[in-house]
Amino acid sequence: MLTRCLQLRIASAALAASLAAASVMAQPVEHEQPAEPQRSDAAHPIGEIGRLITAAAGGATLTIKAGVYREHLRIDKPLTLVAEGLVVLDGDSSGDIVEITAPDVTFRGFTIRNTGIDLDKENAAIRVLAPRATIEHNTLEDILFGIDLREAPDSRIIGNRIGGKNLDIARRGDGLRLWRSDRTLVERNSIHDGRDAILWYSTGVVVRGNTALDCRYGLHLMFSDDVHIVDNELARNSVGIYLMYSTGVEIVGNRLLRNRGPSGYGIGLKETDRFSVRDNLLIGNRSGVYLDGSPFTAAQPGEFTGNTLAFNDVGFTFLPSAKGNEISGNNFIDNIDQVSVSGRGTLAANAFWKGERGNFWSDYSGYDQNNDGIGDFVHESQTLFENLLDKQPALRLFLFSPAQQAIEFVGRAVPAVRPEAKFTDEVPLMRPVAVRPEMRSSQGDGVPLFGAGVLLTLAGVGVVISIRERSSTISVIPAVRAAGGLA
Amino acid sequence: MSAFAVLSRPLAASNAPSLLSNVGVIARRELRDAIRSRWFLLYTLAFVVLGLAVSFVSAAGTGGTGLSGFGRTTAGLINLVLLVVPLMALTAGAASIASDRERGMLAYLLAQPVTRAEVVLGKYLGLALSLFASLSLGLGTCAVILAWKGVRTSPSSIVWLAGLSMLLALGMLSLGFLISVLARKASVAVGTAIFVWLSLVFVSDLALMAGAVALRLRIERLFALSCANPLQVFKMWSLHAVDASLDVLGPAGLYATEEYGRWLHAIFAGCMIVWIVVPLAAAALVLSRRSPL
Repeated sequence: MLTRCLQLRIASAALAASLAAASVMAQPVEHEQPAEPQRSDAAHPIGEIGRLITAAAGGATLTIKAGVYREHLRIDKPLTLVAEGLVVLDGDSSGDIVEITAPDVTFRGFTIRNTGIDLDKENAAIRVLAPRATIEHNTLEDILFGIDLREAPDSRIIGNRIGGKNLDIARRGDGLRLWRSDRTLVERNSIHDGRDAILWYSTGVVVRGNTALDCRYGLHLMFSDDVHIVDNELARNSVGIYLMYSTGVEIVGNRLLRNRGPSGYGIGLKETDRFSVRDNLLIGNRSGVYLDGSPFTAAQPGEFTGNTLAFNDVGFTFLPSAKGNEISGNNFIDNIDQVSVSGRGTLAANAFWKGERGNFWSDYSGYDQNNDGIGDFVHESQTLFENLLDKQPALRLFLFSPAQQAIEFVGRAVPAVRPEAKFTDEVPLMRPVAVRPEMRSSQGDGVPLFGAGVLLTLAGVGVVISIRERSSTISVIPAVRAAGGLA
Repeated sequence: MSAFAVLSRPLAASNAPSLLSNVGVIARRELRDAIRSRWFLLYTLAFVVLGLAVSFVSAAGTGGTGLSGFGRTTAGLINLVLLVVPLMALTAGAASIASDRERGMLAYLLAQPVTRAEVVLGKYLGLALSLFASLSLGLGTCAVILAWKGVRTSPSSIVWLAGLSMLLALGMLSLGFLISVLARKASVAVGTAIFVWLSLVFVSDLALMAGAVALRLRIERLFALSCANPLQVFKMWSLHAVDASLDVLGPAGLYATEEYGRWLHAIFAGCMIVWIVVPLAAAALVLSRRSPL
């Protein structure tokens, strides 16, 4: 055991030396491990930056020179720490790396890597335990938890890049977590390969312009009121945004793409109240929006407007408990199942229009004779196959097959088996609601598809032409021709 | 010993040219006849027109929002292929040998120094090439129109779709040949082919659906059973290839992805190869044993 420990020490010392050598080559600054560690953290000796912090007076600004620092920091007075050039804090795969215990700390421009992987201790790159911290433009790599705010209200988390460890999702930590940290600003951060980004018991938080890729919950709120979630991009997560037991949340202008975990909601709302979901783009999710018991009270209708739900397996999923939503001015484009009710029940308690304005449905089959932009017939969703799917999910295996069409045809043609309309849009829109150009993905151009099409066509034409040209020469079997013809 | 020995025994003198050149000549003949025939023209035209319709409708469905993805665009094309391609291939295959026999052409062909296997293989290749021409014309035009209408699907999806449609066509053509060899008259062969088409396209799926609901089939059974239908295999394979995931197909699709993962391509390919090779071999066998007249 002891020898193993020693070996580890030697190995890490060798690594440290080589890293230090590398940093010396890049920047003529030398950093040594302190010979006699002063006590700061029982687990970790105090390092060079730690000594600077100890020496500094509150309110001072410390500029840290470029290099690799293998140390764990505790910032226990209101300091501003600024990295000058590439300053790497390496946690040596153990414990937390930066702990902020004093209010009004600013921590800017560092690269932090290699936390421990102890989920019980929630090893974090940056843990904030005091109000008004500013965590800006840091790069977090190979970390278990990223930025963990506990009772740190009025903080600012801006422009950080957070990359999780390459672990199985169950063994990862949260890229970002806010616990009882009211009025915090979370802006332009990017998180990838984390577990969740969580806001718990934090009121008045603004989450703007962040991205979360390949995580579990892109953004998860619990008991967090009056939160503004604006212009974020959440893609390829298990779930995009999930709200629970929160009131007064606004979700505006977010892009939720291909969130396809086992539940796979773009936006999920559970027992949420006074919410507004506007101008979001939801594409390719398992279910664009999922509503469970929302709005929770009848205080205010749930507002869904200006959203585009396209190519999702299900556009809108309602649990029967969802009542009192107003869904108007949205685009429902080519979702396999545009609106689904899980279990029994109807959507009668929800309105698919507001005033004289319904939604755009890509499967609307009516027309608009008086040119007012509103379809002349109501849009009723009553396809037999969709109904079957809501009750028998296993039958999804037969999606896209002609048998599906046959069933839908029977449903239309034979009144006896025609299902009750799932919902009715009295004033369907004839044209889709405009999508802000900057909301669209950069979808590349059509040249490759065009090229593939041309090549395929040419191949077909080639076969036809080749046979036409040779047609005169092949009337005789070669063996016969060799033997002098049929004569 | 048998049948394969009989099949491969050359009927011609010992200085007969290789098997391949005989097959090639018959194939070219068949292809030329097919391309000159009205049926081929009609099917190709229908396929192109329907494909264009699907493309236009699906491009219009997005309402000019400039969005695209896996939606009804690809689904519509898959659906179209499922309807039209088996019909084309089955009837073309069914008509081939039966009508030759009716016109006395088969006897004439077999009087030449070629084996019966060569005749079957040659005719099969010729018709397969004509189907290839038809399919690539149809899907190629669709791709061009879709690209022009602003749909941004990756080109690999259309190439996959074309390739898999071709495999489906080959399988259905094989089945058509078997029908053709078994039937006495061309009309009977074509009628049987249409019946088989109807069964594969509608009846088997509907029966399986009913069975799944009534017997509460477990999803692994459901998946295994649908692998028996080449049309379902084509559909699942296309979805798997284009979308890289079968989870759109609900619990059964999820089960397939989780259980077989990267083996799915191999499984689907295996099913297709069985559907291509077995009926064709059976057709050759039957022809070699029966009187050609």
